[in-house]
Amino acid sequence: MEFGINPLVLMTFFPLVGVLVLVFLAPQQKNAMRWTALGTSLVTFAISLWVLFLFDPNKADNLLVQIPWFRLAGVPIQILMGVDGLSILMVLLTTFLTPIAILSTWKAVEEQVKGFMIFFLLLEVGMLGVFLALDLVLFYIFWEFTLIPMYFLIGVWGGKNRIYAAVKFFLFTMAGSVLMLLAILYLGLQAGSFSQPELVANRSLFAGSQLLLFLAFAIAFAIKVPVFPLHTWLPDAHVEAPTAGSVILAGVLLKMGAYGFLRFNLPLFPQASVQAAPVMAVLAIIGILYGGAVAFAQKDIKKLVAYSSVAHLGFVMLGIFALNPEGLSGGILQMVNHGISTGALFLLVGMIYERRHTREMSEYGGLWKAMPIFGGISLVVVLSSMGLPGLNGFVGEFTILLGAFGSKVLGSPWFAGIATLGVILAAAYLLKMFEKTFLGPITKEENKSLKDLNLREIITMVPLLVLIFWLGIYPQPFFNLINPAVEQLVQLVQSAALVLH
Amino acid sequence: MLMEFLPLLIILLLAVFIGVFVVVLGSTFGPKRPGQRKNSPYESGMVPYGPAKRRISVRYYLIAVLFILFDIEVVFLVPWAVVVRQIGVPGLVFMIIFVLILEVAHLYAWKKGALEWD
Amino acid sequence: MTRMIDIYSILPVMIVAGWALLLLVVDLWIPRHRKGITALLAAIGLAIALGFVLASSGNTILGFNQMVVLDGFSSFMQVLFLVSGMVAVALAYDYIQRMNINHGEFYVLMMFSIAGMMLMSQAYNLLMVFLALELLSIPLYVLTGFARTRLESEEASLKYFLLGAFASGFVLYGTALIFSATGQLDFVGIAAVVTAGSANSVLFLIGAALLLVGFGFKIAAVPFQMWTPDVYQGAPTPVTAFMSVAVKAAGFAALMRVFLVLFPSLSEHLTPILWVMAALTMIVGNIVALAQNNIKRMLAYSAIAHAGYILMAFVAFGNGEVVGNTVAATLFYLVAYGLTSFGAWALVIVIEREYGKGILLDDLAGIGKHYPWLGVAMLVFMLSFAGVPLTMGFWGKFYLFRTAVQAGYIGLAIIGLLTSVASAYYYLRVVVYMFMKPGEPKLQINPWVSLVIGVAALAVLLLSLIPWTILELASRAVLLLQ
Repeated sequence: MEFGINPLVLMTFFPLVGVLVLVFLAPQQKNAMRWTALGTSLVTFAISLWVLFLFDPNKADNLLVQIPWFRLAGVPIQILMGVDGLSILMVLLTTFLTPIAILSTWKAVEEQVKGFMIFFLLLEVGMLGVFLALDLVLFYIFWEFTLIPMYFLIGVWGGKNRIYAAVKFFLFTMAGSVLMLLAILYLGLQAGSFSQPELVANRSLFAGSQLLLFLAFAIAFAIKVPVFPLHTWLPDAHVEAPTAGSVILAGVLLKMGAYGFLRFNLPLFPQASVQAAPVMAVLAIIGILYGGAVAFAQKDIKKLVAYSSVAHLGFVMLGIFALNPEGLSGGILQMVNHGISTGALFLLVGMIYERRHTREMSEYGGLWKAMPIFGGISLVVVLSSMGLPGLNGFVGEFTILLGAFGSKVLGSPWFAGIATLGVILAAAYLLKMFEKTFLGPITKEENKSLKDLNLREIITMVPLLVLIFWLGIYPQPFFNLINPAVEQLVQLVQSAALVLH
Repeated sequence: MLMEFLPLLIILLLAVFIGVFVVVLGSTFGPKRPGQRKNSPYESGMVPYGPAKRRISVRYYLIAVLFILFDIEVVFLVPWAVVVRQIGVPGLVFMIIFVLILEVAHLYAWKKGALEWD
Repeated sequence: MTRMIDIYSILPVMIVAGWALLLLVVDLWIPRHRKGITALLAAIGLAIALGFVLASSGNTILGFNQMVVLDGFSSFMQVLFLVSGMVAVALAYDYIQRMNINHGEFYVLMMFSIAGMMLMSQAYNLLMVFLALELLSIPLYVLTGFARTRLESEEASLKYFLLGAFASGFVLYGTALIFSATGQLDFVGIAAVVTAGSANSVLFLIGAALLLVGFGFKIAAVPFQMWTPDVYQGAPTPVTAFMSVAVKAAGFAALMRVFLVLFPSLSEHLTPILWVMAALTMIVGNIVALAQNNIKRMLAYSAIAHAGYILMAFVAFGNGEVVGNTVAATLFYLVAYGLTSFGAWALVIVIEREYGKGILLDDLAGIGKHYPWLGVAMLVFMLSFAGVPLTMGFWGKFYLFRTAVQAGYIGLAIIGLLTSVASAYYYLRVVVYMFMKPGEPKLQINPWVSLVIGVAALAVLLLSLIPWTILELASRAVLLLQ
């Protein structure tokens, strides 16, 4: 396929067009900047829908782009991008959440709008690249590249402790990824290629050291997910990030870690994955329970949502390391669910913060009466995040637990059993938050005159609500997209498990 | 091989011995009559004034540096002159280049006023 | 007998040296307020020499009875030195006027030093190595103290002179020991004696170690780095920029030439030493840089750390399979580092209000807001230093680490990677101050310095998209081995 025509390349780099336009806008044309960014991200979303239209779930190399870049000491580094069942939903999630996040900044960001929008669009390029890259070096480049815009979004437009949070975010992620870089270099030297499909085919070449390689990749991804005990950067980053940053951070950036496990750890190091599965599952369960317990103790709504992310991503990790079709597809779907629900929660927190400039639960109470639309939307989102049947969260968590329950690799139903406690914890802290903020009488004078959501804010939320219901009631189309790829992956891993036993 | 240098060593030792011997001889057998005049720095009767470590005008250093530079460079002319017939025209060319480089330095020092006293 | 080919082999060096001599005379008649003419003439001289280097590249010649060599390696290095020289002239032009030290000798001395570096990359005889070392060092001692009457500058100059002379002593002593071990001074001869096995191995090893000490001073490797922060801080900033790029490159040129040609047989003994040196250099450079508030000092420690990364790839100098990559990776990294480094130092020049003033991290506050392009350029440099992708610094480190892994020094690579995470912290601090703290920066922007910053930033970014251009040049710059 021609370079300019391939929709994947077009989609990934289209936001750069917006960046180029933004650069030439005068600093006072704030609305023009917002519209440019929104327009660009919407066009990107449209292209991603085109990609979805062209996508065939049964093929492993949809829309493959393969352009030789250059050879470093004999090993080719290529621009190798493709989309399959593992990545298609992540791509859509990215292109879907970006315009929503941009829309949410309409009033929230007044300072240096230009820089904000430029970084946001650059971030989108990076995220799409991470999900599409099939060359390890290219992947690493995009992976690290996402750090820079996010670092600025937190550090310049964030809250009071923003610098600390931004630097911590950057250093944590970088510390993880340098070891991955080492593993990538080692793989390239051993196998003479950086292309993921080729490496999967030749994985016997580095089978001897695969446990160490697995570890190197896993640390990088586990920090991003984040898996307990590497999660400490997450609450800081979330609390200090501006709303749109939190949405993207929770919605997409965390998924990059989980996606990395799916894309690289499992197919490249299947035996090691099987060996490590119980450990990872235990860490995931600790994450679920710890995240839930800490979330319960929070007084700050945003922190609560942040810790709930740790718990939810624990479910995702549990599903992935169940290493069976249910677990994996549940995990992927839960990534989407979490992106939507938690993204929506952060948006709601942002909306109320814009009005009252506080996130303390004790400052609120009885908001339902003052802001019925806000309350209604919040109720749906909270219930979705909790996993109420009929909404999206349930489908993902249920499938994951099903997978974990029947997992041969984990070999014990206790994993699923204990993880179920996490669902109850989630109900407890989310309902407590809802009760404290929305129910009862209005206790504070300032809250009486709060304005309900305006049209822009409702428009921001509606697409998310539609998806919450769609995924909750009729998830089959989504499963159809991911299932073939998941089954292939599971076969690969299980054949490795057979070798092991 | 080292035996060739033996006479040199003997001369060296002899010189050191004589030097030390004379000093020791003088200080052992010479008469000692210390007095005010005898202890002054100059026995000639000049009364010393000012500190012993006087600063010398910095211009002297400049002169000294220039002297060392040009003197040592010019010394190279001597071995060249000894063999000038054997090395012929190429030798002459190289020496001209050498002198030209020297002349750059000279010109520089001159123009910068290093050759003037004030 | 001197042949034309001998002259041809070192023609660029002769041009630079000769031009410098002429310029010294011409400058005498250029009035003090027109020193721009001297700068321009110096740049023209360097450009002419650059043209000759490019014209003669691709040849491999042993000239002057194997005293000097012309090969791909020396051509590559000479281009690096000459371009560095031109950049340094561009940086210095406005700076030395502002600091009221605009004497024409500045450019002349810089050209002499460049001539020394160029000779260093061509030296194929230990005496030539020493000669080149002195020729490159002595003008630099003067340049460091060029802002005389300012105490920092004088102190830096004296320190640099004393320690540099000390280092030269080591090189000379090492040369003497190698001579006594092999009875030879030129590389061809020494290599022949070593291959024949008739060298006194103990003296030879001690000589090699002494040379390592001497070169270690020049590249500022730990534990021979202690002069670096003071000298880099005290010297006029354009000189510092020049030192951090060109002198370091010259040190590596000598190190690689001497070690790869003469000492592969000693790798068993020298590799552990180099391993420790590389590890210490990376650790000390990066860790101490964390504590710096003065940008010049911070960049000085960062320069030390970057020497460590190159040393990391150099540890495997005795491994014949890896050596090709070591040389190519080092050359590539020197280019990447040079571009980044000049850019960063140019920014220091822009913020330096008075001599040594206004170069604390606090003085960066607000640059991102008031001078966004400058801020973005500095961001690019800092990211490139830290080795973040889409900069040349990333590919440079990528190649160096790859070489280290290929040679089997994974432990060293891990140390390198972890310290580069630590380094990200202090590079990010610069970014934090520029973009995340409010302030009213007062900058001294000059078109030439802006040009350097702009070109360097663009090069760091754009070349990272087409890294093979430099990569191919670097891998073709083969070093003539015996």
